[in-house]
Amino acid sequence: MSAPGLFDRRLIFVLGKGGVGKSVVAATLGTAWARAGKRVVIAEVADQHRLSDLFANREETRNTPTELAPNLFGFSVDVDKSTEDYLAAHIRVRPLVDLLVRSRTFHNFAAAAPGLPELVTLGKVWELAMAVDGGRPVWDKVIVDCPATGHGIALLQTAGNVSELAAQGPVRDQAHRIEEVVKHPAATGIAIVARPEELPVTEAIDAAAALRADGFPVAATIMNGMTPRRFWAEDASVLGRVPGGDPTITAAVRSALRADHHARIEQAHLDELAAGTGTTPMVLPDLGPVVIAQSELALLADALDGAPRSLRPVGHP
Amino acid sequence: MSLSGLEGRRVIVCCGSGGVGKTTISAGIALALANRGARVAVVTIDPARRLAAALGLAELGDDPRQVPIGPTGGSGELWALQLDAKATFDRLVCRHAPTPEAAERILANRIYAHLSGAVAGSQEYMAVERLNELTDDPRFEVVVLDTPPAQNALDFLDAPTRITHFIEGKSLRMLLSPGAAAGNLGWRMLHAGSSTVFSILERVTGAQLLRDLSEFLGAFDGMYTGFSERAERVRTLLHSPRAAFVVVSSADDEPVREAVMLVERLTADGYPLGPAVMNRIRPRADLPPPPRHALVEALAGAGATHADDLADRTLAQLADDEARARRDHDACTRLARLLGDREPVQVPDFADEPVEIAGLEHVADALAR
Repeated sequence: MSAPGLFDRRLIFVLGKGGVGKSVVAATLGTAWARAGKRVVIAEVADQHRLSDLFANREETRNTPTELAPNLFGFSVDVDKSTEDYLAAHIRVRPLVDLLVRSRTFHNFAAAAPGLPELVTLGKVWELAMAVDGGRPVWDKVIVDCPATGHGIALLQTAGNVSELAAQGPVRDQAHRIEEVVKHPAATGIAIVARPEELPVTEAIDAAAALRADGFPVAATIMNGMTPRRFWAEDASVLGRVPGGDPTITAAVRSALRADHHARIEQAHLDELAAGTGTTPMVLPDLGPVVIAQSELALLADALDGAPRSLRPVGHP
Repeated sequence: MSLSGLEGRRVIVCCGSGGVGKTTISAGIALALANRGARVAVVTIDPARRLAAALGLAELGDDPRQVPIGPTGGSGELWALQLDAKATFDRLVCRHAPTPEAAERILANRIYAHLSGAVAGSQEYMAVERLNELTDDPRFEVVVLDTPPAQNALDFLDAPTRITHFIEGKSLRMLLSPGAAAGNLGWRMLHAGSSTVFSILERVTGAQLLRDLSEFLGAFDGMYTGFSERAERVRTLLHSPRAAFVVVSSADDEPVREAVMLVERLTADGYPLGPAVMNRIRPRADLPPPPRHALVEALAGAGATHADDLADRTLAQLADDEARARRDHDACTRLARLLGDREPVQVPDFADEPVEIAGLEHVADALAR
C-alpha cells in the first residue's frame, strides 16, 4: 500500500491535534493493512472508545484484543489493570502485589504520580509489539491511537523521562528498553495527522520538529479530510465573469467560487505540511456529512492504497 | 443569547472537544464583552499563530497584554495572555514557600522539573491556578478561559484535586507510614525504609527515585494549606453564579456527542451553564437552484468552453453545500433539544478562518446577535 514510510515498521503511533481524526486514520491504516493480510491490532489509550463506535462493536475490550474485522483487532489499554500487571511482573510475590493494589492510597498515588499512567500505557503497547508466539511476532502491526498532540508527545517521552529520573532499578531498566524500541526507526514509525486548517497544520509541524529533536522516528504525515477538488483556475475565471442579474445563478456561482477558494486554502495547507515536515503527506479525502463506519473506512483505505477514485461525490449519500 | 446570559459573570470557561474552535470562540466572547464596555482578559492555550499575533502574543506572553481594539463606547478593554504552565507553577512555589531557600530547593528538585514541565496534568492544573491569579487582578472585570486540550474536556476541573492530593502527599504518607497524620513528612519518609510497602515499592522503582520523591514532598511541607486553599477557592468560584460554562461544538457528530456529555456532567456537578455555541455553521440556501439550462447559458456567455460540464459541477456543489447546511441545521436542533430547547448560539462558517481582529469582530458580532 502507499504508506511507504510506515511499510516496514511494526509499531505505529498516530498523533495529531484533537479533532483531526486520529482514530479514523488509525482505523483506516488498520483496515488497509488487515486487507493486505497483515495481523493488526489498534491500541486505544487514555480511556477513549472510538474504535467500538467505528466498528459498531458492542464488546468492551479492556486489555484484551477483540476482533473488529478479519485480521484486525482492537485493544483498549486499561491503566489500573496494566499497573497491576506491571507490579506483578516485577514483584512476583502475589500477596505483596495484592496488598499494594488493594490500597486506595496506592491508587491515588498512581493516578497522580507524574508519568506513571503514561509509562504503564506505553509499556502495554510495547508488550504488544514485542509479543512472540512460536518464534513469530504475534502482531505484524501495532497501531497506537494517541491522545491529542501535547499529551501524545508526553506519552512518547515518558519512557525517556522515567529512565532519567530513576537512576537504577527495574523501572529504570524497563523504561530504558521501551525507550530504545520507540526511538528505533526500524521498529517504530510516528504518523502525524492534520486537517487542512491552520492550527492542526502548525501543530503537526511543531510536533514533528519536537519529536525529531528528541530522537523519535517521524515516518509519515497524513492530511485527513481534504475536500475532493471540483473547480480549477480556468473555471474560476469563467465563474468570475458571469454577470449578475438572476439571483439563483448568482447564488450558484458564489457557491462554486467559494468552494474553489476553499480548495486553494486547503492546497496551501497541504503544501505547508509537506514543506514544514519534509514529508510527502498521504491524503485522505473528506467524505462529506456522513457518519464514518466500516464501509467509509474501506473507502478511505482505498484512497490510501491509491485506488482509482471510487469515492462518491461529497454530500451524495 | 446571547451574550446577555454572560453579562455580570466574573469567569467564563469555554469547553468542548478538540478542533471545534474553542480558542477562537473564547477570543470572540472576550472581544464582544470588551465591545460592551467590560475590561476582559482572555487566557488562551496554544492559539493559532496568526491569532496569537493578532492578540499581541507573538512572543508567548504569560503576562496579560492589552490588545488594541476599535472604539468600545466606554471603558472596554481586551487583554490576552497565553498559558505558560511552568511559569505559573514556579510563581506558585515562590509565593507559598516558607523561605526563599525552600523555594530554591523545590525548583531544583528533579521530580519537580518533570512534574511542572509535563504537559499531562500540570497544564490543566495551572489553567485553574492562573484563573485564581487573574480573578485577583483588579485590572480585569471578566476572565475568559480557553480550556486545555485533553482526552476528557473536563479533566481540568479534576486536576486541582488530583495534583494537590499528590503534593499533599496524603496518599504517600499513609502508604509509607499509616500511623503518621502529621509531622515532618520528609524526615518520616526518609526513615520509613523499613516499612513493608516502602520496600515493595523500592524493589520496583529503585531506592533513588523514592528518595527524590520523599525530598520533593518534604520540600512542600508547610505549603499544603496554601495549595489546597487555592484549589478550594477556584472550586467555589466555578460553582457560583459568578461563573458560566460555555460549551462549544461544531456540527460534526463526535463534538456534538461530547457537548451533550459535557452539559450533562456540568449540570450534574452543579456548575453554572452559560449558552452553548455551535461554531462553523453553514446557512441554509434561501433560493432554489437555478434551472440547468439558464446556468449553462450564463456560463457559456461568460466564455466557458464546456459550459454543460461546469454547470453540472456548479449544481453539484450547490447540492453539497445544501446537504452540509441541512446537517448543520439538524445538529443545532438536536443540541437545542438536548439542552431543553435552549437554542445554541450559532457562529457561521466564515470563508476565511477568523484569525485576525477583523475576523474576530465577525465572531463577536455573531455571538452578540
